[in-house]
Amino acid sequence: MAIHEKSLIDADRIQTNENLVLDGVDVSGHWNTMVLPRYLKDYDTDFARKIRTFAGGENVHRCWQCGSCTNSCTVYAQNTDFNPRYWIYLTNLGLKDEILKDKDIIWTCVSCNKCTNICPKDVKPEGVMKALAHWLEEEGHTPESKSSIFDEEFLSQVYATGRIEDTRVLVNFLRKTNQSLTPPWLIEVGKRMMKYLPVSFLMHMGLHLVFKPRTKSWGRTGDVLRAYVREQKEIARKQRAMPKEAVHV
Amino acid sequence: MQNTVLVVGAGPAGLAAAAGVAGSGAKVVLVEKAAQLGGTPILSGYAKLVPSGEWARDAMGRMVKRVEDDKNVTIYKETKVTKFTGEAGKFTATLSNGTSVDCGSVVLATGFTHFDSINKPEWGFGSYEDVVTTTQVEQMVAAGKIACPSDGRVPERVAILLCVGSRDRQIGREWCSKICCTVSTNLAMEIKELSPTTDVFIYYMDIRTFGLYEDRFYWKSQEEFKTKFVKARIAEVTRSPDGRLLVKGEDTLVKRPIVIPMDLVVHAIGMDPNEDNPEIARVFGIGLEKHGFIDRAEHYTNTCGTTRRGIYAVGAALGPETIDDSISQGTAAAMRAVADMNALVQKTA
Repeated sequence: MAIHEKSLIDADRIQTNENLVLDGVDVSGHWNTMVLPRYLKDYDTDFARKIRTFAGGENVHRCWQCGSCTNSCTVYAQNTDFNPRYWIYLTNLGLKDEILKDKDIIWTCVSCNKCTNICPKDVKPEGVMKALAHWLEEEGHTPESKSSIFDEEFLSQVYATGRIEDTRVLVNFLRKTNQSLTPPWLIEVGKRMMKYLPVSFLMHMGLHLVFKPRTKSWGRTGDVLRAYVREQKEIARKQRAMPKEAVHV
Repeated sequence: MQNTVLVVGAGPAGLAAAAGVAGSGAKVVLVEKAAQLGGTPILSGYAKLVPSGEWARDAMGRMVKRVEDDKNVTIYKETKVTKFTGEAGKFTATLSNGTSVDCGSVVLATGFTHFDSINKPEWGFGSYEDVVTTTQVEQMVAAGKIACPSDGRVPERVAILLCVGSRDRQIGREWCSKICCTVSTNLAMEIKELSPTTDVFIYYMDIRTFGLYEDRFYWKSQEEFKTKFVKARIAEVTRSPDGRLLVKGEDTLVKRPIVIPMDLVVHAIGMDPNEDNPEIARVFGIGLEKHGFIDRAEHYTNTCGTTRRGIYAVGAALGPETIDDSISQGTAAAMRAVADMNALVQKTA
């Protein structure tokens, strides 16, 4: 049986069993095609609390759906599927499955913060976008993002030496993300730089690449920092795993 | 010339009017049809009042005592006005107990009647025990326990449906009842205080927590007590096989139908005109406006006036009103009623 206007139905709501016999009657294939109802069955009442434990998501429950964030959004202007107002609503009601449908675009927030500036309830929508992206990553709904890989590389250098080496950050980042070490844009940067022949800069860079200098009296600062960050992440993770929220949490 | 004001109704507005008139030195006859003074907050067993947060029995108790202790006030309980004649300055009222009262002016503080949810059968009231009204929840809060009437369990989830008996042409209620939004956000907080693990969902078309109620009730309920606001006018309340209730409707922000299990469904019932208004209008010879509330005179110079000179009306008798504003209007009408009598005295002098 053909379904008319099939494009209007979410693919995952159409079910067909290849082989099915009911009461001795063979109804295999399209004879048993079912369209699952599109109504929402339930709320995950703990989901908003979970998102609040991610940095940036703390105020998500304040939203009253005025739409200022979406209206001001840089990305929405390019892609109307990018709708912070909508995701915040889904978060507050715990409509997780609906959020997952947009898991591949939530990360495209450019953090221009126009939404956060305009929000009358101080929801910090930009932070919520980050919190959602981090939740998606932590739960394994999306692969580890390139920006997370970049952050790790960046921080590991800071912990070790108290500073970063641009060349090393870039090379390691490209390597870890399986990208070419000589992307066209980087070659272009190099070409333009050579016009000015920054001799002392290049010497500096070369020397630092070899000797990996540390910030003066950095000592154990890196270890302390690393431990602190790990501790904070652990606390947040424990909060997320906590049983259902009580009032004033 | 008369020095007596007849006040009809001993709720917040009537008690304020009586105290105002008596305080200015005139006499008051206070007529109340119930056996108890205090009006709806007492008769319906309200918990804490909005916005003061004071228990209804304490706040109303103080108003009642002030009037009961005043020698200028004569109180008739379980009494109605059955006959009313005369004109401004020299009215005569006959009460149901046979007493005849001569008075110079009248303040009608006859209040409202709660909407009867039976008139919206699709929302389950009367069919399912766990569908209740805001008044019943007020009584639960006053008793200190939130429970599902069917089996006494503490609800995991409560749905409050706004605009039950308000803003609904289907049932001839074309007005906003003004206070249900604020009362509901407040009840959500009180429910959370009694049962912190209960989730409260408010189903709304708009949230009308006007003026200073905005942050003290709406924002606080949402931000501190995590009340969830869902933009959906519920179409139907039914029961699922496991005994829980199902609220069905369209979530207009997700643009999807919803069928969500709930343990307790609360109707935020609106304010109807007092069911006695036709009788009141006939006895006092005053008009009702198109919804059935008491009709107002021109407000700017005839504040609190009705369509008949010398008769004033205040509070929810005129339309949905807050308790605080009803009290202020009662005091204002006391001023008008006494001033009326003084003006007539000056004219005849």
